[in-house]
Amino acid sequence: MINHISELYGRQLSSLELPSELANLPQLNQRDAIDLKPKLRCARCGAKLNRKQAALPNGQFYCYVCIQMKRMDTLHQLVFIEEPNRFPKKLDALSWDGQLTGLQEVCADMVVDVFKNRKRHLLWAVTGAGKTEMLFKGINWGIAHGKRIAIASPRIDVCIELFPRIQAAFQKTPVILLHGKSEQPYKYSQIVICTTHQLLRFYHAFDILIIDEVDVFPFSGNPMLHFGVNNAIKPNGAMLYLTATPDQHLLSQVRRKRLSISYLPIRYHGHLLPEPTIIKIKNLSHQITLKSLNKRILKMIAQLISQKQRFLLFVPHIKDLAAVKSAIQQAHIQANFDTVYSADPDRIEKVAAMRNRRLDFIITTTILERGVTFPGTDVLVLKADDAIFSAAALVQIAGRVGRSSERPDGRVLFYCESHCATVRSCQRQIRQMNQRAWRL
Amino acid sequence: MKECLLCQVPMRAEVSFDDIILFTRVEPMLICQDCQSAFEKLTGQATCRQCGRRLTVVMENPCYDCQRWQHQISFNFRNVGLYEYNAAMKDYMKRYKFLGDYRLRWLFAKQLGQFALKTKRLLVPIPVTADTMAVRGFNQVTGLLERCHYIEVLRAAQLTKNRRQSEKNRVDRLRLSQPFELVKEKAHLIAGKKVALIDDVYTTGTTIRCAATLLYQAGAASVIGITLAR
Ligand SMILES: [Zn+2]
Ligand SMILES: [Zn+2]
Ligand SMILES: [Zn+2]
Repeated sequence: MINHISELYGRQLSSLELPSELANLPQLNQRDAIDLKPKLRCARCGAKLNRKQAALPNGQFYCYVCIQMKRMDTLHQLVFIEEPNRFPKKLDALSWDGQLTGLQEVCADMVVDVFKNRKRHLLWAVTGAGKTEMLFKGINWGIAHGKRIAIASPRIDVCIELFPRIQAAFQKTPVILLHGKSEQPYKYSQIVICTTHQLLRFYHAFDILIIDEVDVFPFSGNPMLHFGVNNAIKPNGAMLYLTATPDQHLLSQVRRKRLSISYLPIRYHGHLLPEPTIIKIKNLSHQITLKSLNKRILKMIAQLISQKQRFLLFVPHIKDLAAVKSAIQQAHIQANFDTVYSADPDRIEKVAAMRNRRLDFIITTTILERGVTFPGTDVLVLKADDAIFSAAALVQIAGRVGRSSERPDGRVLFYCESHCATVRSCQRQIRQMNQRAWRL
Repeated sequence: MKECLLCQVPMRAEVSFDDIILFTRVEPMLICQDCQSAFEKLTGQATCRQCGRRLTVVMENPCYDCQRWQHQISFNFRNVGLYEYNAAMKDYMKRYKFLGDYRLRWLFAKQLGQFALKTKRLLVPIPVTADTMAVRGFNQVTGLLERCHYIEVLRAAQLTKNRRQSEKNRVDRLRLSQPFELVKEKAHLIAGKKVALIDDVYTTGTTIRCAATLLYQAGAASVIGITLAR
């Protein structure tokens, strides 16, 4: 339920959520939540609806696609109030006193230019480039001009990690974090950090919309979320996409000149990306199902442990976690380690244990491929040629290594049965970025 | 590929060898095996002969709650529940009623309908209030009776519910006055007839007994209850 009129600024909600004392405000706009013509279509998520499935009694309809975020139906209107940008124009809102490298500075100025001139732009920055810091100057410009700003990501972990950093950098500006699992009540704030799903609740709200990790599921290839993005941004707002691994959809927009592009091929510490070493092992997936591992792999693990070199061990499937764990235990390797996967109830604790160095290594599925950083780790990938690892996922996984300036390099070992297209594509992408970095 | 209506997991159309050989019509699957197995059937189990709840070895038949009812109302009431009101069923009700995903009626409409028709009784659904109808847009009970003929002889008394049923305790509910009234023009249809009242859930049994009281006043010969969940 809405408590204050400001909660409707730039947002679209069902009239059901409107208390009667706010129902007759002159600023209130209404539109149909479900369009009947030309096709039955939800106005919030854009889904085309099947008449039989969407039917309610008495000739009414509802949207079954975005129903998890409160139902849209023909019984109620979508209500919204135009975004009034009711923010004080503050100069010097930035309370961060870190330093950008020369190249980061160039990118930061480019970001300001994108915001000022309301462009649609893709910043292709390598893993570990220091993307967040490069946004500060642009956000600072936005605050000085009373703009409303959102940073959205398909991944909830990315949002959770981003929120305190933005809050710390802009201490005098209200920042809110919105995602499906948060209990924080909504409040009108100049900066919104949210999952891309949450953008469905906004309507022409943002002068500046930044989408981080745009190539990731569930955003990539999800028309509902793309529809939501286009509704959430103001009609002539600035859009900035950030990624280390753009997908074909983005690149084709670049080719068709609907999106401008810039590259940051080098990490903030100025070192090249570590390139993966491919190690072929026959029958690797069969070995994993038999809960045994090739001697070369076990030897490498034992060696890393004895050198006190921490690492992440990626496996393709959840069921492989237990098998690989028991293979390592049977080899009598003495180490503190654990397994983790996306629906793991202890996921947050286990990741924290790895971060606090209480674990020597962690066996994980692709959930740790991005957004999380453990300084100074190596990476081993078992069955890197498995279909579950896309080329982008492999680039991201390799990108976990060499993040800190204390140890800007490290091992990236891909164990595979065959040298397949995704592995080759990953190698090619990393080499291309490194070549670009050389030319700088 | 179709997705499970409850957990959104993609489902393969599983057609058995028998289906192909015997040309049996294959019902389209609506939910996946995992979601399906979370619902617990009450039919075929030891249940209280009055309210239909599952009986454990330490419980008497009728159960303690029903023995108390015997002192409070003048007629004996029998209810049959099709499914246990367990976590899966509570979650189902949340999505069907409170989120308002009307498609979910299809999960149980066929089964409840067949069961109700087999009693050869006149079917009377428990009504919802005008407020609920304006917000939800449907009556969850008539949704489940989509494949049956039924008579809406009851309607909600014209006072708004200020709190949800589930938030009230038993004492509160028992103190409630009659929440329903008869639709006068239809009342004659049930005089002298055997009637089955249909509801989605039997929790304390107050709602359905209030409705039964009215039907007896209108001259029903006998009234039983059928609920999807107990
Ligand atoms: Zn929708
Ligand atoms: Zn399911
Ligand atoms: Zn009983």
